[in-house]
Amino acid sequence: MARAFRPVVLTANDLVEGDVVWWTGAVWSRDVSDAEVFDTPEAAEAAEAALNTPEHAACTVGIVRVEVEMRDGAPFPTLRREQIRAERRPTFDYLPTSKVSEAA
Amino acid sequence: MPTLRDITGILEDAWTRLDEGADAPAGPAIYPFPGDVAGNDPALTGIHIANDVDPESVVPMFDRVSLISVAFPAFTDGRGFSIGRRLREAGYTGRLRATGPVLADQFRYLLECGFDEVEVPDALAARQPQEQWERAADAVTLNYQRGYAGRRNILEARREARGV
Amino acid sequence: MYSYDEFDERFVRERVAQFRDQVARRLDGSLTEEEFRPLRLMNGLYLQLHAYMLRIAIPYGSMNGRQMRMLGTIAEKWDRGYGHFTTRQNIQFNWPKLKDIPDILDALADVGMHAIQTSGNCIRNTTSDPFSGVATDEIEDPRATCELIRQWSSLHPEFTFLGRKFKIAVTGASSDRAAIRVHDIGIEIVKNEAGETGYRILVGGGLGRTPMIGKELRAFLPREELLPYLEACLRVYNMHGRRDNKYKARIKILVHELGIDTYREHVEAEYARIDRSNTAADMAEFARIAEQFAPPAYPELPEQSAIFERALKAHPDFAHWVEQNGFAHRVPGFMAVTVSLKPVGGAPGDATSEQLRVLAEAAEQYSMDELRITHEQNVVLPNVKKDELFALWTLLKSQGLDAPNKGLVTDIIACPGLDYCALATARSIPVAQEISKRFSDPARMADIGPLAIKISGCINACGHHHVGHIGILGLDKAGVESYQITLGGDPANDASLGERTGPGFSYDQVPGVIETLVETYLGLREPRETFLQTYRRVGMAPFKEALYADAA
Repeated sequence: MARAFRPVVLTANDLVEGDVVWWTGAVWSRDVSDAEVFDTPEAAEAAEAALNTPEHAACTVGIVRVEVEMRDGAPFPTLRREQIRAERRPTFDYLPTSKVSEAA
Repeated sequence: MPTLRDITGILEDAWTRLDEGADAPAGPAIYPFPGDVAGNDPALTGIHIANDVDPESVVPMFDRVSLISVAFPAFTDGRGFSIGRRLREAGYTGRLRATGPVLADQFRYLLECGFDEVEVPDALAARQPQEQWERAADAVTLNYQRGYAGRRNILEARREARGV
Repeated sequence: MYSYDEFDERFVRERVAQFRDQVARRLDGSLTEEEFRPLRLMNGLYLQLHAYMLRIAIPYGSMNGRQMRMLGTIAEKWDRGYGHFTTRQNIQFNWPKLKDIPDILDALADVGMHAIQTSGNCIRNTTSDPFSGVATDEIEDPRATCELIRQWSSLHPEFTFLGRKFKIAVTGASSDRAAIRVHDIGIEIVKNEAGETGYRILVGGGLGRTPMIGKELRAFLPREELLPYLEACLRVYNMHGRRDNKYKARIKILVHELGIDTYREHVEAEYARIDRSNTAADMAEFARIAEQFAPPAYPELPEQSAIFERALKAHPDFAHWVEQNGFAHRVPGFMAVTVSLKPVGGAPGDATSEQLRVLAEAAEQYSMDELRITHEQNVVLPNVKKDELFALWTLLKSQGLDAPNKGLVTDIIACPGLDYCALATARSIPVAQEISKRFSDPARMADIGPLAIKISGCINACGHHHVGHIGILGLDKAGVESYQITLGGDPANDASLGERTGPGFSYDQVPGVIETLVETYLGLREPRETFLQTYRRVGMAPFKEALYADAA
């Protein structure tokens, strides 16, 4: 039996900066909570197809779907890998002490 | 129409590619390997080889053809570089063509492995105009590998500097 | 140390300009991402989970203070203030921007460094023994051979679009500290019966999805034949290696499928066709390179140092560090020391820009301007006077670089894992940190003795788990991290691959699992027996019993 469809968002990396970006329906945002949620496979496919253009290929790398659940009214990925991407940082204290304040 | 070029620039392609078993035209034609080319005029005869053909099996045809085309099914599939090198080492002196979606960035390596010319499909040629091929050919002017044609060889340059 | 001549310098500068142009052509659409990706990879640039990652080559792990200082500068100026030393003697920066990469490469070229072929399906950074030139068991310093291979493999016209990556390691010592048996080609410098120095060639080793120990291809290859012979080995691989399946594309699969004898026949047939005189480097060129690795002018010192002996007595921490991290030097009065990048609870192999600068200073002041990077993700200062060891230790301690744990349970190898890497299936670094904290007591660490824990966050095995005494492989089981344990692996002369204990464990269970394994070993060991020796003597059964008895 095919697994039931779960809501998805679309994500990529920014070509120039490398940052993780999320499709809001209008622009690419650094914040996953801005992402537009697609509740049906048809809606996700249509959105993916609409992003398959030279303009988006010229500013992003690797547009893919990511499953999400709603947390406090905003989408958040269900898989660990995508959660780490959404948090924009490793899961441990990775910065040298002197750099912590700058990155915060 | 694919784009054919060599180090001097874009070329008119005088050669016709033949399908398996097709009748020979009047002008120069490229036959799929192994090709029934006995009795042809070598000056008007070329063959095209896939990149899993053993170059040794092409050696007996050297004096029957004046062009060998080697397939590069993808730019990431580098078998053709070794085939070119092997054909030259085995004494082939005719025209050697790389055929497939290779990048301008690979032009210098192709020349060094013994290729004379490159035939790339249209879509790729449109994105990478001639000016990029010219720049790519001269991007790195030195090499460390002896026995590959083209760039200035660093080991030879050092040998000269030693006065040998 | 090798320094670039005018040709090396121009070559690297031209490569930087070429890459700058490739970046521009990606941005203007001349190159698609699909086309740009292999081009950026073969210049060390990945796109990882959060950002680009730049991997910089430290050829055969050897560098000087100026180069190390530049790494610190790069970390600070273009990254987030730290770098990560890898298991192949490279350093990675985790947060650079694409637009800055050409400038970073120019900065590297300023100090004779580059990122050429640190990734991609080409010949990678040639690795070697971190104690080359100073070890007592060395036939010859392998770095001249490594440098010859580095140059020959750089932008090789024929071998830059191989079926898969290709890794070469060289050792010049009788103890293999370069893991040559788990490389695509492993080279051992040997002497033949006539007393001539040449090479023993191994082929087809590797880790990854299908781990294999390399097999002997040639027992003795004369020195002058090295490059043409390598060309024959690579050509056979390039033409016959599988291209239909990325996971079967390494040379180890070709050698395995053909059998070593058939592969050898192919190579020898190819070698017979090669015009050797037109391919080999002349021996004057080898001599030119070798001259640059001539031993530095060591002052004549007595083997014993009174200052050193006094410091050992006065400072037990220092004595402990020397005992654990010191390495015998072939010159009297000198010692090589390992600077551990594995402080308890730290990220293995990470160093801050400040630490990188202190390492540069340490090399310049106390190690005749030489540093080595080890495949265990540590740093070696190879040329330290015993008289100055205490001063060096004091300097290192000021930056937390004094962990006395070389080769111990907390000296864990870990790949970046799911916290950084786009290929990873599970986290590695936090697992290493938790294990490290469990074993933080120095007395307990010392009691456990030599124990190599190696963690990979996916099957590609960058963390070398197959050759860990305890190997940990992180996988994804239906969206949950799961860790397989292997026991008994080792990369050295009697190389062996670890055996799986059984079903995997959850992320939270792993530190407890390691405790259980260690306790089992302590209960079974005979006097002075290491974990690996005990495992080799008693086998898997008691460890398996200890891990799974409750579940059964």
